[in-house]
Amino acid sequence: MDHRFQVSLRGVIDLLSHHLYSSPGVYVRELLQNATDAIRARQFLEPGHAGTVRLELMEKQDGSPPTLLFTDDGVGLTEDEIHRFLATIGESSKREALEARRNDFIGQFGIGLLSCFMVCDELLVVTRSARGDGRTLEWRGRHDGTYAVRPSEHPLAQPGTQVFLVARPDMAHWFTATRLRNLASHYGGLLPFPIHLTTDQGTERLDTSGAPWRREYDSASERRKALLAYGRELFDTDFVDCIPLRSTAGDVDGVAYVLPASPHFNSRQKHRVYLKHMLLSESAENLLPDWAFFVKCVVNANALRPTASRESFYEDDALAAARESLGQSLRGYLMELAREDPRALQRLIALHGLSVKALALDDDDFYRLIIHWLPFETSMGMMTLADYRRAHPVVRYTSTVDGFRQIAQVASAQGLCIINAAYTHDTSLLEKLPHAVPDVQVEPFSSADLPQSFEELTLDEREATFPLLRMAERVLAPFRCGAVVKKFYPAEVPTLYSSDAEGAFRRDAERAREESDDLYAGVLDSVMAASGSEPAQLCFNLHNPVVRRLAAVADRDMLKLSVEMLYVQALLLGHHPLNAQEMVLLNQGLLGLISAQLGGDGERGGEGSGGAGPRGLH
Amino acid sequence: MSGDWREQAESLFEQADGLAEGESKVRLLEEAVRLADTHKDVGLGYRMRDALIDAATFGGFPDKALVAFAWCRGQQKKDPKRFDPEEMFWKQKWVVGRIKEFPHITRKQIVDALDDVEQCFKATDSGVRAVLKMRYQAAREMGDAAEEVERLWNAWLEARRDHLTDCRVCELDDELDHHADKGEWQQVLRKAKPILDGRKSCAEIPHLTLGTVLYPLFKLGELEQAREIHRRGYAMVTKNREFLSTVGEHMEFLALTDNLSRGLTLLEKHLGWALDHPSYRDRFTFYAAAAFLLERVLAAGDRDVVSLRLPKTFPNHQADGGYDVRALHAWTQGQARDIANRFDTRNGTDRFAKLLARNQVLAGEVRPFPIDAK
Repeated sequence: MDHRFQVSLRGVIDLLSHHLYSSPGVYVRELLQNATDAIRARQFLEPGHAGTVRLELMEKQDGSPPTLLFTDDGVGLTEDEIHRFLATIGESSKREALEARRNDFIGQFGIGLLSCFMVCDELLVVTRSARGDGRTLEWRGRHDGTYAVRPSEHPLAQPGTQVFLVARPDMAHWFTATRLRNLASHYGGLLPFPIHLTTDQGTERLDTSGAPWRREYDSASERRKALLAYGRELFDTDFVDCIPLRSTAGDVDGVAYVLPASPHFNSRQKHRVYLKHMLLSESAENLLPDWAFFVKCVVNANALRPTASRESFYEDDALAAARESLGQSLRGYLMELAREDPRALQRLIALHGLSVKALALDDDDFYRLIIHWLPFETSMGMMTLADYRRAHPVVRYTSTVDGFRQIAQVASAQGLCIINAAYTHDTSLLEKLPHAVPDVQVEPFSSADLPQSFEELTLDEREATFPLLRMAERVLAPFRCGAVVKKFYPAEVPTLYSSDAEGAFRRDAERAREESDDLYAGVLDSVMAASGSEPAQLCFNLHNPVVRRLAAVADRDMLKLSVEMLYVQALLLGHHPLNAQEMVLLNQGLLGLISAQLGGDGERGGEGSGGAGPRGLH
Repeated sequence: MSGDWREQAESLFEQADGLAEGESKVRLLEEAVRLADTHKDVGLGYRMRDALIDAATFGGFPDKALVAFAWCRGQQKKDPKRFDPEEMFWKQKWVVGRIKEFPHITRKQIVDALDDVEQCFKATDSGVRAVLKMRYQAAREMGDAAEEVERLWNAWLEARRDHLTDCRVCELDDELDHHADKGEWQQVLRKAKPILDGRKSCAEIPHLTLGTVLYPLFKLGELEQAREIHRRGYAMVTKNREFLSTVGEHMEFLALTDNLSRGLTLLEKHLGWALDHPSYRDRFTFYAAAAFLLERVLAAGDRDVVSLRLPKTFPNHQADGGYDVRALHAWTQGQARDIANRFDTRNGTDRFAKLLARNQVLAGEVRPFPIDAK
């Protein structure tokens, strides 16, 4: 009897080929999946059953399209089951329906067969069920939606299923020996039973030998060597190390390979994943926790749900649990390195510090184990936190590159060791330290803190520098900047400009305001009025010879000009862009200094060029 | 010598490009901008600010985006041939779309900035829908009269889409707020479905959506789904301070379902963001949720002190980590109230006071549902 599906098969096929699958080649995967499911079902009934899949390519001499015969010795279908899978096809016009049906054997069987219509117009399925009455049935279906089910005239001797596909002329290129060999090895390379391919060249057994990480090896180093070789073959990369992966959730196992170079941050690694030993995807991304971007994996999962397209895993609780425990596998590896082989750990940190740091932020135990191995840039060079803490009881850091640059030179001359924690995660890692390790003091440090370490003036020095200080206060007030005089090293640095982060932002806003139209100038005024920045400060260094001489200058104009120029110089040295007013200072100041140097005006230059004033320093 | 600093700026730019959204990225680009400014290179300053506006917008520093944009807008006005305003239309939308979140910006300034956007877009004969959406959102958030908000909502959705319209997914996400405001929980979920199923996404979607739907799901009693969405959604927002208000929504959900310990973990982890977050609206959402959470801890009645690792920048920081629940509650409640007052005064409405009062309604709705149980 002939039947017609309730829906337009064309529509379903169109959905599959244009929206669900990335290439018509997946028909081989779908047939292998059906065969695998059938063999597994038969093994459940007959535990000793080995299972075999055969692909036989029949190429026609007359140039008409080739035929593929796809055979398995799995459980086969009963008549009732045939009707059930037909019903599935009828319901599968929606992506959601497809997704739901994937999860049962019969549903998958129907959807798998449907994918064959991407490459052929007619299908013949001959099947004998291991559970049935021994009859062999056949189903013949056409892409136009007609089909027929009847007892077969060619009974099968054993349970199993045969699928005959006659290539559609425009799809004949998916039916060559090379293509079939590649596709079957690609998708079925991990299957624990043989795949035989017969062509006019004869019969060959494709290389399917199960998952290499489950094999027995003579020694750990043999194992490592074999797995690294496997990784090289899969990903064309020489990896640094391999890590076994295992998760009860999702029943996942496999290998993670440590990448030989630091990946770009947002390039999430693409993993190769198998579902029940069939290749699901070469670009699965959602398998590992975010921090674990230092490895590339190959895994098999038996109990995770594939998406409708079968090209990645569905994001659900099971996947979340699997991700968590795969993360634990990687964490375990790092923990062991920290305990057993700190040198290897340090090499790994040099390569994949970002991953290690990201994990340490999330995981307290790991943090405690690893934090002292992490290297930091300091005002006294690179050192691990352990070395730092051995020499310096208080951990001090700056969280911006600018902030670090502004203090590094003076800090190191003053004997202060300050960490540049501007690198990703470093600030958060250091802030976590007191929570994880008892009795550690951690303090943020900025240029505003530096003067605390500077030497105070003597009473005489105070008196002697008072005019300079008064002048500086007056000159700098319009710039929201205060003044102090202290003594610090290195002596070549005449002044130090310091401000907090808010202060830097305020300066940015001031510059933007100078460029803005009325609308945004008004908006920026509101922003600045609301910002709570402390005034900046210019600290003069009395160890500096120029500053010592300056303190003795009696000529008020010269003093004013010098203070202005020192202020502008300090800003420039600290990489603070000048605002319009400060530019004016710079330009006028330069001219003033040149004219002073040129002399001519003896009244002005004479005294300023060095003579000791009434309260000079000696 | 002159090559040096240019190379340095480019190298900062590249470093920033390799980083996730967040503070480090913003700092690097700020430094590049300062370098360009130090050398008075307007072209480079413009280009670096262009990148800074993106990083600041998506990394939780809308104030820095505003300052950078204001500078660029100034250059555009001076030399529109060299600095084409049209190329920054999207950024202008982001920046102006958020200035209402700063209570120190006046209503007039907000309206003027919106008018400025409209003028700019009009000059290219486009962007009608984008402007209407911004006007709708400003009116909604400033608590304007319901009829006016409704009028703008309808006008927005009727206007024609064009290249300045937000992507469909972002628009869909913004539509959800409207239905949530009206208590149309079913409608929220119906519209959110393609996003929740993972079929549609964008830079900040579903991150934001997964927070928005928690309360509707809770109201409908879909607790299993809410739990899954909480897990999935919180993991997406835990690293970026841009999502402070979404973190607040997760915290509120945990308090509503009596997962107080989990809620406190969120509080201790993200309070640092709230303390100096430039968006006062996001601070408000966070503090209001924190106040509700601490109220639940108080209501549980079995402890006066909780141990928390709060940041040093917290004004009442305790070295031993022991915090009096009552005092902490009073402090968060006070923060939320202060911000609400500032907004309501600026807006001339009472929307934020009402939002804060919502905590009392929530208290009557608590329904324990453990997150950890399987």
